[in-house]
Amino acid sequence: MDQLAFIADILLPALWGGLLVTLQLIAAAAPFGVLIGAGIAVGRVYGSRPVQYFSRAYVAFFKGCPLLLLLFILYFGLPSAGISLSPFTASVLGFIFCNSAYDSEYIRGAIKSIREGQFTAGLALGMTRGQVIRNVILPQALRRAIPGLVNEFVYLIKYSSLAYMITVIELTGAGKMVATRYFTYNETFLVIGLVYLSLVTVTTIGAHLLERRVAVPGMASGRH
Amino acid sequence: MQRKILGLLVLLLAGCVLLAGCTGTTPAPNTTTTSSVNQSDLKDSYIIGIDNAYKPFSYQEKDGSFNGFDIESSKWIANKLGFKVEHQAVAWDGMIPALQAKKIDMVYSGMTILEERKAQVAFSKPYLKINQSVAVRDDSTLTFDDIMAGKAVIGTQRGTSGEAEVQKLIDAGKMPASNLKTFDNFPLAIQALVNKQVDATVYDKPSTIEAIAGQPVKIIGDIDTNEQYGIAIRKEDTVLLDAMNRGLDLLMADPYWDELKAKYNLTET
Repeated sequence: MDQLAFIADILLPALWGGLLVTLQLIAAAAPFGVLIGAGIAVGRVYGSRPVQYFSRAYVAFFKGCPLLLLLFILYFGLPSAGISLSPFTASVLGFIFCNSAYDSEYIRGAIKSIREGQFTAGLALGMTRGQVIRNVILPQALRRAIPGLVNEFVYLIKYSSLAYMITVIELTGAGKMVATRYFTYNETFLVIGLVYLSLVTVTTIGAHLLERRVAVPGMASGRH
Repeated sequence: MQRKILGLLVLLLAGCVLLAGCTGTTPAPNTTTTSSVNQSDLKDSYIIGIDNAYKPFSYQEKDGSFNGFDIESSKWIANKLGFKVEHQAVAWDGMIPALQAKKIDMVYSGMTILEERKAQVAFSKPYLKINQSVAVRDDSTLTFDDIMAGKAVIGTQRGTSGEAEVQKLIDAGKMPASNLKTFDNFPLAIQALVNKQVDATVYDKPSTIEAIAGQPVKIIGDIDTNEQYGIAIRKEDTVLLDAMNRGLDLLMADPYWDELKAKYNLTET
């Protein structure tokens, strides 16, 4: 078959279906990753002893557990405990656990970069601890964490392909199926690579715009 | 700055297009076959690609060594023909690319001779005929006809003739593509069946019998594909192809062949 005809008629339609699934996986996982990551980071820095221990254990476990293994446990393992998850749900859960563990580290680093004096000053102005964290620390820390969070988001784009191992037909999976059926490995993986490259490029440009948009005049990012 | 990035992207794209161009040309297959193999043309050792979760044909023992019908067959042939073989586990859907990329020298692991595969690699003479089995959970009310009508979520291994059979249902419009779930190896598909994540599996009969042993799963029928296993070898590697054909002749004429088949419960239909 003509190579261009193959790419246009067979490969691209299959990849389009896969791309939509990949985007759904990312859209479902990333927001929770950041939210839970922020919670864990705050818990580790400001929480009570038990909260600190829990947060540390959470990060240690999900950072230490290979994502593929985590997905296998969620999909193949949990049914023996009576919990049967769909492949999509299992993937999203796995991504959230992994993503939030890493995100929490970026956010924790950013929180620690805010001078302690600001916390004391907040309290001196009559704010509660929660108010200081919410209104003084986090708005600054989250801005400083943007480069790290974007980094993790880019990883998420790429490791979302692991969902294929538990039967979710996302971008890589859709391509692999076509490649195996038509023995067109080089063409297929090349096109898939270009799609991931464009996803990452769009993300990088988007992150750059976001960083500029949320920049606070006078607040140098990451420096004192 | 932005112009620089654009330039870089264009360069990258150009590189990719160039690469894509290179893959389009496949060398004309060497069709000249020599009937008599010169022993000295054979290499001292060959690497055999296998699926390591493919009972009874090739699988890994608890101590890490490989065993199975095809493993023992290949060792017997290698011993007779005077070369060494080394077995290497390869993901099934990457088997033929691995062969073409010379990571392995042959696939001797219950590989069905399919037209699509023959367009890519050469096959030895067939050495075993099998069918595809349909398996469901013991408590399932699904019938064989239900499965063939596309009324179930079906699990199988990626890149197998079992997948090709299910794909036929999809191509015929009987079953939505999303009802096909493919796994890295067949035991995982059985695990998903037991977990109720798929309703049925379609896979080689001898391996299905092995995989469901001790599981709450039953075979409800066979798809008579009458497919045949062969050894896959690179098209240009005619020396090895002739050698393995000769090896199969020797093996199948030897009493050891029936012994092996009995040992692994492979009574041909």
